[in-house]
Amino acid sequence: MNEYDVIIIGGGATGAGTLRDCSMRGLRTVLIERSDIATGATGRNHGLLHSGARYAVTDQESARECISENQILRRIASHCVDETDGFFISLPDDDLSFQTKFVKSCQSAGIRADVIDPKEALVLEPSMNPAVTGAVRVPDGSIDPFRLTASNIRDAKTLGANVLTYHMVTELIRRQDAIVGVKILNVRTKETSELYAPIIVNACGIWGAHIAEMAGVKVSMFPAKGALLIYGHRVNKIVLNRCRKPSDADILVPGDTICLIGTTSTKVPFDTIDNMYVLPEEVEILRKGAQELSPILEKTRILRCYAGVRPLVASDNDPSGRSVSRGIVLFDHEKRDGLKGFITITGGKLMTYRLMAEQATDLVCTKLHIDKKCETATVKLPGSREDKETILKKLYSMPSAVQESMIYRHGEMAEKIATNNVVNNSLVCECEEVSYGEVSYAIDHMDVNNLIDLRRRTRLGMGTCQGEFCACRAIGILAKQKKIKPEKEKEELVTFLNERWKGIKPIAWGDSLRESQYASWVYESVCGLSKNNKDLTK
Amino acid sequence: MESINKSDNNFEQCLKCTICTVYCPVLAVNPDFPGPKHGGPDQERLRLKMPSFYDEANKYCMNCKRCEVACPSNVRVGDIIQKAKLKYSRHKPSLRDFFLSHTDLVGTLSSPFAPIVNKVLSWDVTKQVMNTTIHVDKHRIFPEYSHEKFVSWLEKQAGEQKKFAHQLCYFHGCYVNYNFPQLGKDFVKVMNAFGYGVQLLEKEKCCGVALISNGFAGQARRQGEVNLRSIRKAVSENMPVVATSSTCTMTIRDEYPHILNLKNADVRDHVELATRFIYRMINESKDFDLSKLKFIQRGHPLKIAYHTPCHLEKLGWEYYSIELLRMIPDVEITVLKPNCCGIGGTYGFKKENYENAQKIGEPLFREIEEGGFDLVVSDCETCKWQIEMSTSKKCKHPITVFAEALTE
Amino acid sequence: MIFDTIIIGGGLSGLTCGIHLQKAGKRCVIISSGQSALHFSSGSFDLLNTLPDGRSVSDPVQSLDELQVQNPSHPYIKIGKTDFIRLAEKSQQLLTDASISVGGSYQRNHYRLTPFAITKPTWLTMTDYVSSDQPDSLPWKNVCLVHFTGYLDFHPDFFQGKFQELGIKVQNVELDLTKVSIRKNTPLEVRSTNIARLFDNEEALDNFVRLLAHKVGDADAVLLPACLGLERTNIVNILSRKLGVEVKLLATFPPTVSGIRAQYLLKQRFMQLGGTYMLGDTVNKVDFENNHISKIFTVNHGNIPLRGEEYVLCSGSFFSEGLVALPNDVVDPICELDVDYISDRKEWFASDVFDQQNYESFGIRTNETFHGIKNGQAISNLHVCGASLSAFNALKEGCGGGVSMLTALYVAEDILRQKENK
Repeated sequence: MNEYDVIIIGGGATGAGTLRDCSMRGLRTVLIERSDIATGATGRNHGLLHSGARYAVTDQESARECISENQILRRIASHCVDETDGFFISLPDDDLSFQTKFVKSCQSAGIRADVIDPKEALVLEPSMNPAVTGAVRVPDGSIDPFRLTASNIRDAKTLGANVLTYHMVTELIRRQDAIVGVKILNVRTKETSELYAPIIVNACGIWGAHIAEMAGVKVSMFPAKGALLIYGHRVNKIVLNRCRKPSDADILVPGDTICLIGTTSTKVPFDTIDNMYVLPEEVEILRKGAQELSPILEKTRILRCYAGVRPLVASDNDPSGRSVSRGIVLFDHEKRDGLKGFITITGGKLMTYRLMAEQATDLVCTKLHIDKKCETATVKLPGSREDKETILKKLYSMPSAVQESMIYRHGEMAEKIATNNVVNNSLVCECEEVSYGEVSYAIDHMDVNNLIDLRRRTRLGMGTCQGEFCACRAIGILAKQKKIKPEKEKEELVTFLNERWKGIKPIAWGDSLRESQYASWVYESVCGLSKNNKDLTK
Repeated sequence: MESINKSDNNFEQCLKCTICTVYCPVLAVNPDFPGPKHGGPDQERLRLKMPSFYDEANKYCMNCKRCEVACPSNVRVGDIIQKAKLKYSRHKPSLRDFFLSHTDLVGTLSSPFAPIVNKVLSWDVTKQVMNTTIHVDKHRIFPEYSHEKFVSWLEKQAGEQKKFAHQLCYFHGCYVNYNFPQLGKDFVKVMNAFGYGVQLLEKEKCCGVALISNGFAGQARRQGEVNLRSIRKAVSENMPVVATSSTCTMTIRDEYPHILNLKNADVRDHVELATRFIYRMINESKDFDLSKLKFIQRGHPLKIAYHTPCHLEKLGWEYYSIELLRMIPDVEITVLKPNCCGIGGTYGFKKENYENAQKIGEPLFREIEEGGFDLVVSDCETCKWQIEMSTSKKCKHPITVFAEALTE
Repeated sequence: MIFDTIIIGGGLSGLTCGIHLQKAGKRCVIISSGQSALHFSSGSFDLLNTLPDGRSVSDPVQSLDELQVQNPSHPYIKIGKTDFIRLAEKSQQLLTDASISVGGSYQRNHYRLTPFAITKPTWLTMTDYVSSDQPDSLPWKNVCLVHFTGYLDFHPDFFQGKFQELGIKVQNVELDLTKVSIRKNTPLEVRSTNIARLFDNEEALDNFVRLLAHKVGDADAVLLPACLGLERTNIVNILSRKLGVEVKLLATFPPTVSGIRAQYLLKQRFMQLGGTYMLGDTVNKVDFENNHISKIFTVNHGNIPLRGEEYVLCSGSFFSEGLVALPNDVVDPICELDVDYISDRKEWFASDVFDQQNYESFGIRTNETFHGIKNGQAISNLHVCGASLSAFNALKEGCGGGVSMLTALYVAEDILRQKENK
């Protein structure tokens, strides 16, 4: 079928959230994403569930938005959220009077901000810099963006939505003064097709500028690159922020088995956004900031680094582009540019995705004369619907660590995952406790097409060895279930290993270099993988 | 050169090469054990995420430290698992675990009634009862208790011992004190032959290795503190502290700081295994006059099989024990392959582990039986019990063999 | 503790050096932090597969002249062609002498199948393993390819694809190991070493034969993943006899049974010859006096030093911590010798992980006779061999095994020569 009520372009959190909201309101929706879900800014940020405190001093509106969504997400996406709480700490170099202003601003935005004695803070979070002079406790948390996006998509699909990953929009079909559909290309099979809908939603983040151009309208965006480092284990339990004017490398976020430090901000040219590399200077800035928050990080192993691109949208009333919209940007192109059937939703941040989706869907419904209210703030996402104790009882006979992992990642969906037997309980990824059953399930039910997709959904390869062993095991399972040819399997491994290398190269010294050398020996020397994957006999 | 770029959390050095897993004696026979790599560095990251990730199956770890010996990255795998057991396990030690590990208490109670206790423990019916009620495996043979404790015997010799020009303190351990004072007597004989008088520490408690592996960290720490106090006193009086048990030595030197967080850097190097002490005295300080030693002329070679206890392999000190044996005339020494005997201290006494313990030791037992040896020699008392129970050979401590080879 | 030669590093290089010295009557000790990188080997040893410029090598000796032009500092060039030939032969002899049965010749590379069924050139391959003189030409028309349920470190589909490519008919047989085991609690956690232990048991082997026998059909050969032969080194021959057909092994993902066995047999040989092997110990202090080493200290032996006349440093590369990479430096953590490396970390790597990585050529600087150099001065009694050396790329040139063994033998002979001269 190629006729829908809404076509959403972009499979990040915004697109997925909009897909869910539209589906919940009864619209026939399809989502088009040129790669895998959460591969844009959604998959490359801090994973921070902001309390909003960071914006309280300079942007009260953003702060209020944040705290409101923070509370909503804790309810509806509990299996994606880690309720860690956060500290804003002052160090000897910081002006303690900033703290006072900070606390007042938080309170006026409705954000709980408790001043804690630094000694007590150190007891609560021992990894904190012992030279701390001031601490404020706020309701920060951490959130897994992959799980969040996948969960929204899963809900939408059960409500009838269609999802087309690895499909690229090549053209927006225009009839007179309206966009009526899209021409798409299946990236894997090279087949083309056309889909039609009265409304097209542009939810592609920074790539939205390109889509807008295709529509013939101008949306000025500035790609702002942000780099982050991932440390080998969860050093801190509580999010650590610097209590000062927002700057580089001042947030240390614990997430799942790791913690990460971010971020930086550099404007980059458009033609680099599909190929971001972290520079040695950025690595140094991040390490320095991290060590100031927690000195133990000087000796902690770094697993990898990555960079994402923020879509900074130019304010419409300042064409020079120097003034940038900080909050959510929703363009009704009919009103703005005289182009019907096309809206753009962008800006914002990961944790306001639901609000962005709500605003976009409200606009869509208005245009389609549908009178349905948004319920995404109250209806829980799949995975968050049952409490842990109930689910644990149903899985009691599995090895305990496997149980814990599955529930942690999938909530009540864990019950569906696999029959409890020796093969399914055997581990594919030992670093992150990902079982054969889980991998098998993800391949069959979660739109997994390759190892990197699998990694996003199960954390396979996100542990200390970064997929050294499990990649090889997983490729076998992928082949078995998707029936990929042996040559394709090797190609897939080569792609995976290079993607992994991209994140390791900038931090390859010490144990990370040892790990890389070991991986190279095993894959290249012992197993014979190479760039071209041809036999070394020619 | 000091290690650079190492985090305090040693588990991060793990490269997942899985070599430790290849050499783990437990995993070779018991698939329920997560294995050293997985139970150690892998799961440590998960435990730091959430304590509920602790896998109770880590109880199958014998703390043999073979994973550490094999690791090319010097990860203290065994330590990581022991610490995790103490920190996260929700398992409450049973009555059996209490009796197996509180050796001072049981020893003190049993020693006065040794003949009766020994008799009762040897009865089949006792073993059946223990098997059913407290799950101590019925096949297990308990070491006999001695009516006269070693400390009582040594106290009687105190005057004579003080006459020697050099003095040392003997950390005798529970086995020598309550079960087998003969080894202690052999030690005294040997040390005297080298010109050293033997004293007791001011106060000695069980080293605590069984307490640690059975979950009694608090008690282990208390006993450790007493021992360290005594050791510090001895060291301050320029007396080296020497032990005959390889496990006691390893526990005091390494488990105290790594597992119990008891600082001992100031005295660690003063606590030595007897065979190392002797080696050092002979080779480094030239304090021992070897010509004074007189050996019995046997006339025909004694074929000895030397078994390296796991904890001694970890210390890396089997070399000294073997060199001591080489000093004895008419002795043919074969060093057995590096295989664990399977008893793992109190581990092999437990009904649920017994079968696996025996499977683990099988290759060792086979090598002993097929080698045509007269005697097996090893520094660890629990290896001795295991070898004597599971093979047809006697197992003696190198110090005993040396003592027996000396003329009176 | 006094020895004639103290060898720091107990892998392929250290053991080769130690075995040769012990045979000549020298008292040696090998100190090894842990088990070695041999555990990840494939069942084959490489001498020289590719020149630095990327051209394939079929005759290593013939390619030495070109190697000299492209990389005159290569360890093989330091050794020189005559000694290269002699030491290559000696290395092969050493392996055979240690009961590691290998086929192949230094004169001509043959071909092995990797765990991914990719054909690669190589120098020596263990005789139980699939190998061929020509690339892509195996001697069978019809094979029975066996694999085990739940064994994830072996990919039968890769081999199936390869054999089909070569026009060989493949019969896939999947065996459930629970049917082979004879004890209730036998670990069936399917790892190579556990499977190998299982097959070391006669009864289990017979069960296996029974299960397989009627599936062999008219196959010319039965091919199994290489998880056999930990204790029983002749197990493949036994199996072949029982099944009445040729049996060969296919390499698996590491840690490999072949690697574990090779390490064990070499260590065994060394100790049989009277050598002392100290496993799980690390050197933490080296005392120098007038450009020679007087004694060393280790973690385990604490205040008892080890003294030797000669010292050999073969502590491996980054993996074994023979070399340590700091954010902007590469150092030798043991002897603090001069290291050849590039100071700008950006230059250490290429963007594509399969391109040449400069860091693989970093290593300890040595003089013409492989003596270590400290602050520009050669250390008279310190020899360096194996992966710790600089100026070669084991990965890209396919010369890891060869460099390890040939330089080890060179150093051993040098030590014996020096002793004679004294």
